[in-house]
Amino acid sequence: MTIKIAVIQFPGANCDLDAVHVLNDVIGVETSLIWHNHFKEANFDGVVLPGGFSFGDYLRAGIIAAHSPALDEARIMLKDGRPIIGICNGFQILVEAEFLPGALLQNESLRFVCKWVNIKVINDRTAFTHKMNKGDVLAIPIAHGEGRYYTDNIKELEENDQIVFKYSTEDGSFKTEANPNGSLENIAGICNIEQNCVGLMPHPERASESILSPKQTTHGRVFFESMIEFIKRRLT
Amino acid sequence: MTKVNLNGEDISVEMTKEEFEKVKGLLDRDPTITELGGFDVMWSEHCSYKSSRPKLKLFEDAEANYDYVLAGPGEDAGVIDIGDGYALAFRIESHNHPSAIEPYHGAATGIGGIIRDVLCMGVRPIALLDPLRFGRLAGNSHSQWLFKYVVKGIADYGNCTGIPTIGGEVEFDDSFENNCIVNVACIGLGTIEDFKHAPSRAYNPGDYIILMGGSTGRDGIHGVTFASRTLTEMSEADRPAVQIGDPFTKKMIIEATLEAVKTGFVRGLKDLGGGGLTCATSELTGDGNTGANIALRKVFTGEPGMTSYEIMLSESQERMAFIVKPEGLETVLDVFKKYEVAHAVIGKTDDSKVLKVFDGEELVVSLPAKALSESPTFKRAEKRPEYLDTLLAQKTPKPTTSLKEIIDKLIASENICSKEWVYRQYDHEVGVRSVVKCGEGDSGVLRIIGTNKFIAASVGVNSKHCYLDPYEGAKGGLVEICGNVIANGGKPMAMVNCCNFGNPEIPESFWYFSKAVEGMNDFCRTLRIPIVGGNVSFYNEDEVSKTAIKATPQIMIVGIINGVENIITLPFKESGNDVLILGETEAELGGSEYHSVIHGLEGGIPPKIDEEKIQARWNLLFELYRKKLVKANHDVNKGGFIVTIAEMCFKNKIGADIDLTGYNVNDLRDDELLFSETVGRFVIETIPKNYDKILDLAEKFNVTVKKIGVLTSKPEINIKGLNQNFKLDVIKMKKLYDSTIPNLMEI
Repeated sequence: MTIKIAVIQFPGANCDLDAVHVLNDVIGVETSLIWHNHFKEANFDGVVLPGGFSFGDYLRAGIIAAHSPALDEARIMLKDGRPIIGICNGFQILVEAEFLPGALLQNESLRFVCKWVNIKVINDRTAFTHKMNKGDVLAIPIAHGEGRYYTDNIKELEENDQIVFKYSTEDGSFKTEANPNGSLENIAGICNIEQNCVGLMPHPERASESILSPKQTTHGRVFFESMIEFIKRRLT
Repeated sequence: MTKVNLNGEDISVEMTKEEFEKVKGLLDRDPTITELGGFDVMWSEHCSYKSSRPKLKLFEDAEANYDYVLAGPGEDAGVIDIGDGYALAFRIESHNHPSAIEPYHGAATGIGGIIRDVLCMGVRPIALLDPLRFGRLAGNSHSQWLFKYVVKGIADYGNCTGIPTIGGEVEFDDSFENNCIVNVACIGLGTIEDFKHAPSRAYNPGDYIILMGGSTGRDGIHGVTFASRTLTEMSEADRPAVQIGDPFTKKMIIEATLEAVKTGFVRGLKDLGGGGLTCATSELTGDGNTGANIALRKVFTGEPGMTSYEIMLSESQERMAFIVKPEGLETVLDVFKKYEVAHAVIGKTDDSKVLKVFDGEELVVSLPAKALSESPTFKRAEKRPEYLDTLLAQKTPKPTTSLKEIIDKLIASENICSKEWVYRQYDHEVGVRSVVKCGEGDSGVLRIIGTNKFIAASVGVNSKHCYLDPYEGAKGGLVEICGNVIANGGKPMAMVNCCNFGNPEIPESFWYFSKAVEGMNDFCRTLRIPIVGGNVSFYNEDEVSKTAIKATPQIMIVGIINGVENIITLPFKESGNDVLILGETEAELGGSEYHSVIHGLEGGIPPKIDEEKIQARWNLLFELYRKKLVKANHDVNKGGFIVTIAEMCFKNKIGADIDLTGYNVNDLRDDELLFSETVGRFVIETIPKNYDKILDLAEKFNVTVKKIGVLTSKPEINIKGLNQNFKLDVIKMKKLYDSTIPNLMEI
């Protein structure tokens, strides 16, 4: 049985083709770009909500897309344990659709920021990180205006091991200068309690080919390789 | 403004009385008010190029002279064949006047417009570049406001549409204080098939005309005539002539357009920009030798009660006109429905060669389709400004401070310092093509996925040099921008330009334009670089201070790199390697940052271009690349070669022992040698064992190559061989380089 992945194309998504490229051409898994209204969960083993500006993000980032029928379909996948990843705008949508807790606020600088950062793996057991090791530092780019993670229930996140990544320096320390947007506790990505759904602001699809990486790393691939491995284990 | 009498009523128009008479002659009757509005817009300077056209004839033959040029000047964008079945489209345009009044929306809609120009060639827009000009930032809150919101306008629009902004340049100079320059460039990539599917002509009678995208509103009416006069204190009242951008709708239009083109049922495509529906329909039918019947009330409007005049002349953003084969109508409409973009079939083409627009039953426009494009041209007088002799005669005073202090000041000066504050706000990586990213090279380098080919693109010009000598300045701009592409390993393939000048009715202002065009033309013919498009923005001159901007003929070069191994980057790589300089340094401090920052001077002798020498250097570089002898390359630009060396040290925190003994063949003063802005020089990093090989090649190519130093692991630049030896701390310089703009903008 072949594994099938969907990348949802919300109106205004703009990292959709990038994710399709990496999954199909770099990772080598059968991946389709699906218009949000046409998405049917039954056809897929995993789903990617890509980055961009869904519906222009003129209201609050991700809020309109969170009401797309695609999210109803994805909710079925969430419940039966299939892997779901939200990247950047996808993360904002997952938070707005309450797949994941908390909120993503405007960057502390009040400006959009596009740059390569480092993130440290905090939880290495999720569907997208189980091929990483706790404490690994990954080089990965960010590009967002509303990426400051906030929750008023940080204790619960910590207790449930839902913090997946934190912004860090290259040597893994959580200094303020390593935090590009003012996120609470340097949080860059989180998961649901069941650990099959991960959302993060950085872009693994932009960090999956050495030619695009300042230091020729391909840390982004491990997200997708973990997902494939996770699906294989579920299917057997 | 002129008053003309139409059907017994006095009407204000932008055109002259003579032009009004010509309109009547063309029609053999009085025009209707809607027709008159159409002529007024289409014959404006912005649309008709009536002052510049006689001069721009020089550029016209690119398609004939270069077999890889698919579309040249006069099209919505230049298009070249880059092999492997791919076409590259690109264009640059100005959005100066709107941005000077409303920086955020002015800049944003500039991006919107240039994206449409590239999109209507049937290809996907994949990159943006923006050269900008403002007044000096320090102590000037107006300049800071313009700068901040122009950058934000570009960022918000480009980021939302998912098109990376991969390059640009900024200069700050008093002459731009009231007339900022916002030029926007876009590159598109597609197959040659895609390009062939989307001609901007309606050449087949019986096809449907579909208007798609944003609704037609009252915003932006007469935006182009507003852009065709000088700004006055009254211009604030023109703010309604600035359009409002909607990048989300644009993103939908991009996807819907590309999918519609892929169906094969689209026979023509045109964006709605200046002149709105009037311009689009008349150009489609005029260029296609057809006519059309348009039902005006089919146009979906943003507000009720719009007159035919307003609907035909609205410059509302985010609209495209499609010419569709009858058998494909449903298929194309289904694409538009999928993306939920508004659309309406507004008419049909016919063979009448007349453009007819009906408002219900009433015929409001009935014009020969070509009439609107038959604007008169003007031969403008030109005169070299008298002040130039005094300026050119300015001598460089002896420096009163140490060379080290001067370098610290230069590296922190507004025109030299890091522009990271700007490009961090641009998503420059979306699309997963950006290989050499902002700040990492002289040009932006994009991969073409599925091939081993790369696009290198750069844009800019030196306004201070052009002010002193527009002919040599425009050539110098070409040397510099081609040099940027070459420094990254790219072969310059084609050029587009955006000419920003003052009022063409003033002979001194027109002289600048005329000389710059001649400079570009002469250089490009000698170096075999096709000019595939251009845009002219006149009237960048304000009536309050009575000064024109410094002449700014922006140049954009697109180049190709074959093979990933041939991409060269800017940073020095390894201590122990040699530092070489290609090309001699002349005493050319006119218009330099040294003159301006240290001595407060604008004059002196600006750089002069020797095409033969430039060509030889380029040839040598490509030979060195072919033999894999170059580890890093950076072309010498503002501030002279010491600034260049410092910039190359920054990323890897490397130092250099520089010994200039024997390089100063022209026996220049220390400050002249270090800070001269002679164009066409490169600083390269090479491996010591290859030095003899490189010198042999340099001799063969007849290029001056001189080893001036060795890289060291300590981040320190030691300079010897001058009257004054000194030491520069790379880390401290980097700090100065990085902090200028944040310090000015983050208060």
